[in-house]
Amino acid sequence: MLIFAVNPYHMKLLVIGVAAALLVSCSSGKKPDDEAFLQSLENQTTAGAGVDEEVINSILEQIPSPLEISVLLKESGSKYAPEILNSSNNLPKYNSNYKKALNLGVYGTDLGYTNIFGRNADGIKFITSIKSLADELNIGQFFDVETIGRLAANSKNLDSLLLITTMNFNHINHYLQAQSRDNLSVLLLTGGWVEAMQITCQTAVKNPNNKDLREKIGEQKIVLEQILLLFSFYTEDPNMASLLADMEQLKSAYDKVEISYTYKESTMEIVDGVAVIKDNSSTTINITPENVKEISDITNSIREKIIS
Amino acid sequence: MKKLVFAIFCLSSLGMSPIPDQTCDSDSFATACIPKLSGGFNFLKSYKVDGVAKDKVEYSYVFTKGTQYLINLCANGSATDGIVVSIFDKERNKVATSKINGQFVSAIAYPCNATGIYYIQYTFDDPSGHCGGSALGFKR
Repeated sequence: MLIFAVNPYHMKLLVIGVAAALLVSCSSGKKPDDEAFLQSLENQTTAGAGVDEEVINSILEQIPSPLEISVLLKESGSKYAPEILNSSNNLPKYNSNYKKALNLGVYGTDLGYTNIFGRNADGIKFITSIKSLADELNIGQFFDVETIGRLAANSKNLDSLLLITTMNFNHINHYLQAQSRDNLSVLLLTGGWVEAMQITCQTAVKNPNNKDLREKIGEQKIVLEQILLLFSFYTEDPNMASLLADMEQLKSAYDKVEISYTYKESTMEIVDGVAVIKDNSSTTINITPENVKEISDITNSIREKIIS
Repeated sequence: MKKLVFAIFCLSSLGMSPIPDQTCDSDSFATACIPKLSGGFNFLKSYKVDGVAKDKVEYSYVFTKGTQYLINLCANGSATDGIVVSIFDKERNKVATSKINGQFVSAIAYPCNATGIYYIQYTFDDPSGHCGGSALGFKR
């Protein structure tokens, strides 16, 4: 079957062509309206060239889920520590979209942490805060508070709870990106990351001999570099520029952490229809307890600014 | 005015040429892949694989040492419909693929031993509808 479909690229050409034809056909005696039209085309091009949304979105997609860190914390044997999470009492403090987006990420990480530790009653408080912030940012429709609340009521529903929460946050991010509100998406992910860092650092300081935790903090250098790259697109926003300056301090601390990578060809075999890989490459992360302390102090200071 | 009519005619022909009915509901395939992440894997991301007008689709993600990742594939008809998913490290070395010795499989289990940015690339072996979805999960 053949249909007449408008390819987006062709559509753009069509629009430009019509515009060009209009200009050619009216070339004698340029009127003020024509100049305004030309100016509007110019402005559109400039805005598009300033921030490449495709690049931003692809970097955003790279940022790992804070849930991975929560799982590590639980498996490392560390105790559940609700006192290091953000209090839901802080919610009324968040009056700007900047603070709302950051703390939506913070509470999202806290919710994941309580879920992983099976403390669903604590999680309910975060669900309420998340829903409130999401509504105020006009993205509440993506947070299915009813289903999440029902799942949270039963600890046997952990897998479903984690699944639906992750899906909700993914939908929010995709929606914000599609709506060209990717600055909020950047803040949401950054808030979530800083909170996960803070939880990990606090846990690591209490467990100085836990090498896994130290390394986990060290390898966040890679994520921080991506976040700094994202912030570089928004330096004209005073709030984001200020946060960038703080994150640059964190980067200075991370400059002392060394990550070396050695590639070695992997091997594969098929087991039950799945390609099971043996990764023979490796990374070595050189990070001292002093590095952890410095990173932890700066992280806590940034996090304090975010949640206050 | 004749120039305008001619320009619109030419560009309309260009923009609205008859093309085969090739639409890809990659979103549905991606969503359908999520519950197929079994064996204790926690869901992380779903990926749309719309290769109707491309020869490859690529995403990236930071994989971390000590974590096992599972990437699966969903497509029309046969299990993978000629879609191959491969993982490349930051230096673009191929570290995993779902096509081994000519055999297509619908999932890759990748126990990561080196933290870094990895590229998840979808390519299409003919004959393929160039359309599918995929999901990424993790476990420790």
